Order: sequence, then structure tokens, then C-alpha cells
Amino acid sequence: MEILETKNLTKAFGALTAVNAVSLAIEAGSLHSIIGPNGAGKTTLFNLLTGTFQPTSGRIIFDQKEITGTPASRIAHLGLARSYQRTTVFPAFSLFDNVWVAAFATGKSWKGLLYREIDSYSEVAERANLALRDVGLEDKSKQLAREISHGEQRQLELAIALAAAPRVLLLDEPAAGLSPEETRKMVALVRALKGRYTIVLIEHKMDIIMSVSDRISVMHFGSLIAEGTPAEIQKNPEVRRAYLGGVAA
Amino acid sequence: MKKSILILLAAVALLPFVVRPAIASEVWIFAIFGLGLNLLLGYTGLLSFGQSTFFGSAAYVAGWLMKIHGVNAFLALGIGVGVGAASAAVVGYLCVQRSGLYFIMLTFALNQLFYFTAYQWTSVTGGEDGMPGVPRPALLGIDFNNPLVYYAFVSLLFLISLYLMKKIVESPLGKILQAIRENEVRAEAVGYNVPRFKLLAFVIGGAFSGLAGVLYAMLFGIVPLEAISFVFSGNVVFATLIGGSGSLYGPVIGSFVFIWLSESMSTVWARWPLLLGVAFVLVVLFLRGGIVEAWSRFWSWKSSKQKT
Ligand SMILES: Nc1ncnc2c1ncn2[C@@H]1O[C@H](COP(=O)(O)OP(=O)(O)O)[C@@H](O)[C@H]1O
Ligand SMILES: [Mg+2]
Repeated sequence: MEILETKNLTKAFGALTAVNAVSLAIEAGSLHSIIGPNGAGKTTLFNLLTGTFQPTSGRIIFDQKEITGTPASRIAHLGLARSYQRTTVFPAFSLFDNVWVAAFATGKSWKGLLYREIDSYSEVAERANLALRDVGLEDKSKQLAREISHGEQRQLELAIALAAAPRVLLLDEPAAGLSPEETRKMVALVRALKGRYTIVLIEHKMDIIMSVSDRISVMHFGSLIAEGTPAEIQKNPEVRRAYLGGVAA
Repeated sequence: MKKSILILLAAVALLPFVVRPAIASEVWIFAIFGLGLNLLLGYTGLLSFGQSTFFGSAAYVAGWLMKIHGVNAFLALGIGVGVGAASAAVVGYLCVQRSGLYFIMLTFALNQLFYFTAYQWTSVTGGEDGMPGVPRPALLGIDFNNPLVYYAFVSLLFLISLYLMKKIVESPLGKILQAIRENEVRAEAVGYNVPRFKLLAFVIGGAFSGLAGVLYAMLFGIVPLEAISFVFSGNVVFATLIGGSGSLYGPVIGSFVFIWLSESMSTVWARWPLLLGVAFVLVVLFLRGGIVEAWSRFWSWKSSKQKT
């Protein structure tokens, strides 16, 4: 069953159509990757799914309900959480506070918002700690986000998304800017999350994609040009021409 | 933490014997004003340059009700808090969608709008001459016309305000506002309606400003036109930055220094604001955390010297 669908989703920035009539169906529980060269419109697609931008036309359906036009701050409450290609954390906060804020947002209730002490929300703290543990940062929970390495910030980026306890995780190039060693760690991390969440993964490093994905969609100049299993994608001549051409073949 | 509270209580107890009780009262009134601003400036990262809108509106409305309708002090303070919050809700609603320089200019422009309204509406506000004759009505048989009694009343309200603000900044709301300051985009994405939270910060800050405004009017028996002008808006920003916008106590210390300096220097040297200007430049260039940061740097420097 599909948990997330788009129907002819389109976003135009003036004359540029960054996302062009994209119809996509994400199977619940699967890891679905979206690949495509830089500027293909992958990040814009995420921005549409999360309400950062409103689509020019088309629809978004989450869990059988139409969510087109839902403002960004409501999306997390529906169970959709994202990470960013460019690290987007709370720099002066401790790692724990980074995930705590995300966990609180989607917590059961905001009772005591103005007067209860932070430590008195045990369910939130638990979820925050769990998110840090999932990415292997539990030992650094007291450090400030701006003081950890780039690789660790990428892990934190992911932890903030996990802290919301989402049903669908949208990961935008989690390995962006990582060394080969750090990239291996990140791949292992994503692999460990597979099955626990429905994951939509944007990535342009092919080796990562092929080994972890259940399905792959290929974007090119804003349009989907192919979709299939990793093996099918690797064989697809159009994909090879458009994208793999110089890289893998 | 315990130590800072003891120092504060000692300061509250001793201040009226060091300076005139009226000046001592002004210090804590201004501190309440600063606490309200700092929820916006220090915690949410919003430089509001129009805080006197809420301070002045509350002072005029509550002052008028006490003067003409003989409203009691308790009710007047409550109304002042309400007027402060309501005017902040209006201003906040118009400002929270803007950011950066546009935000600052809009808070300033709306402040000017309120200022000119007060300036023109002379039958009520007295225009340039201010609105004199604001009484200090007795409360529960306590006569506030005794300066020390009024000082005690102001101090009590200040300590309550400080306690409330401490609760607020240590609550989830405090953390969320700081998250907005740190990264608005992410705060929105993890599920907070950022404009609405900014508005809430405005309203709370406005309530504190309103309380301070009424206490100020009762202290001097007059609402000067300045109380709703950019001068007061600027002063409170100034005092808070000098004290340190990064901590709860920053605006308290800043107000202490600012009021004391302005009262003691203005009689000695007419160009004393020059000193403030220098202090401001130093803070902006070298000491973003104000006096609070200077203090903690001094102590860590001292303890590192003792070790070697
Ligand atoms: N906010 C925006 N305004 C105008 N153009 C944009 C905006 N965001 C993205 N674009 C353009 O849309 C195209 C797709 O960008 P993007 O979605 O970031 O690609 P990808 O993530 O696949 O590299 C690019 O040409 C980019 O310049
Ligand atoms: Mg991108």
C-alpha cells in the first residue's frame, strides 16, 4: 500500500519548471530512492512534500488523505519528517536540546508550555535520547552542535528528523560532504533505519543507492524519467544516457 | 544560582539607602521593562525597536483611569498589563511576518504612530507636556505616597516578574523561542508555527512592559510624552545589551547600570550620554554578552591564574 503519493506535482519558479508533473508512489515500509543530477529538482520535490513551497499544480496524498497546501509547521505533526542537504541544526544548542525541541513538537501534549520545567517531560526526553542513540551520538549529548565535526553534524541532522518519531523519513543527501569513511558509517546508519520507517532517500552517489534501495526513481530536468528496482535502473538505457553516462558506464 | 538570588535580594534591600528611593524604584521598573524586551531580543532573536508602544499605552490608559475614575492601584496594574499585552498583540501581528531590517523598521514605525497619536491627542495625554496628576491610590490601607513603601511595592512586583520570566524561559516555550532564534527554518520544519510563537513572545513581553509603564506613571505622578517615544524604546534596548541579552539577569543588571549612570551623571556632566555611547560601542565590538559575559570571563580568567 502507498503511504505517500504525488499526482502531477509541478513547481515553476518563473520560467524554470523545477518539478514537472511528477507522479510518484511510495510503498509503506520501503526505502525509495530518488536520484538525478544536480539541479534535477530533487530538493524542490522535498520542499513541496513538506510544505516549504506550495506547488504550482498537482496533488500530494499522505496516508490516503490529501495534504496539498498544508503549511510546513503542520507536516511534522502528520508524521512526515525531513533532513536537509545543507546542515540545518540549532548551533548554540546542545545535541540533546537539538533533538528535544523536535521531540517536544510532536509530543502527546503541550500542556505546561509556559511554566513546566523541561526535564518534567519524560516521554519527550526518552524519545530525544533514543534519536541520539540511533545515530550514535548519545555520548556527546551535552556538547554544542556548533562544536562537533561536520560528519557528526550530518548525523545530528538525521537525529532531529528521527526525534519526531515520524512514519515517513525524507532524507536529502545525508552523505553530502562526507569523507569515504564517514559515508560508509552513514550508509550503515540508513541501512539500520530501513524497515523501521518508510524512507525516501535523495542521493547522487550511485554506489550508496544501489545497495540500499528497494525502488529507485530517476529525475532529470524536473521530470521523472524512469522508475524501478536497482537492477532495472542500472540496465535502463535512458537512465544511462541521462545520468549514469559519464559516471558508472 | 542561589548566590545570584542572594546578591539580588541584598541589592533590593540596600539600593534605596544608596540612591534616592525614587531612583531605586526606577531601576527595578526599568528592569521589568527590560525583562519583557529580552524575551524578544535575547531569547527569540527579534530586535524590537518599539517597546515603548506597550509601556506608554499602558501608562496612559491606567494613569487616566486612576486620575479621572479613581480606579484602585491593583485594577490599574491589571489593566496596564492587559493594555500592554493587547497593544503588543496588534503590533506583533503586523510585524512577525517580516524579518531582519524590515522587522526592526516596522516596530519603530508603529511606535512612531502611537507616539504621534499621543502627541496630537492633547485633551487626554497633554501632548508634549505629558499627562500629570497620576495618583498613587492606597491599596488595602497601605499608603504608597511614602517613597519607601512604594519602593517595597515595586521591588515585590519586580521579584515576582523575575520569577515568572525565569519560569517562562526555562519552560518549553523558552526553548522553542531560542530554537526560533537559532534556526527559524528548522523550528518550522520540526512542527512549530513560528509566527504564532513570535506573537506569543510579543504578547508576554508587552504584558511586562505594560506593568512597568503603570508603575512608572505612579512613581513620577506623570506620563511624559517620552514614555511612548523611541527614546524609551532605545533606552531599554541599550540597557539590555549593556547588561547582556544572552541571560535572564542581563536586562536587570543593564537597567541597574543604565538608570544609575543616567541619574548620577546627568547632574554632573550634561554630555553623559557620550559615555553610554562608548559603552555601547564596546559591547557591540568586543562583548556581545554584555556585563554578564564580562563578569564570567573575569572569573574564569582569575581561576585560571590561580591554578598556574
Ligand atoms: N527557491 C528557488 N527559487 C528559484 N529557483 C530555485 C529555487 N529552489 C531551487 N531552484 C531551482 O530549481 C532547480 C532544481 O533545484 P533543486 O531542487 O535544488 O535540485 P537538486 O536538489 O536535484 O540538485 C535548480 O535549477 C534551482 O536553481
Ligand atoms: Mg538538492
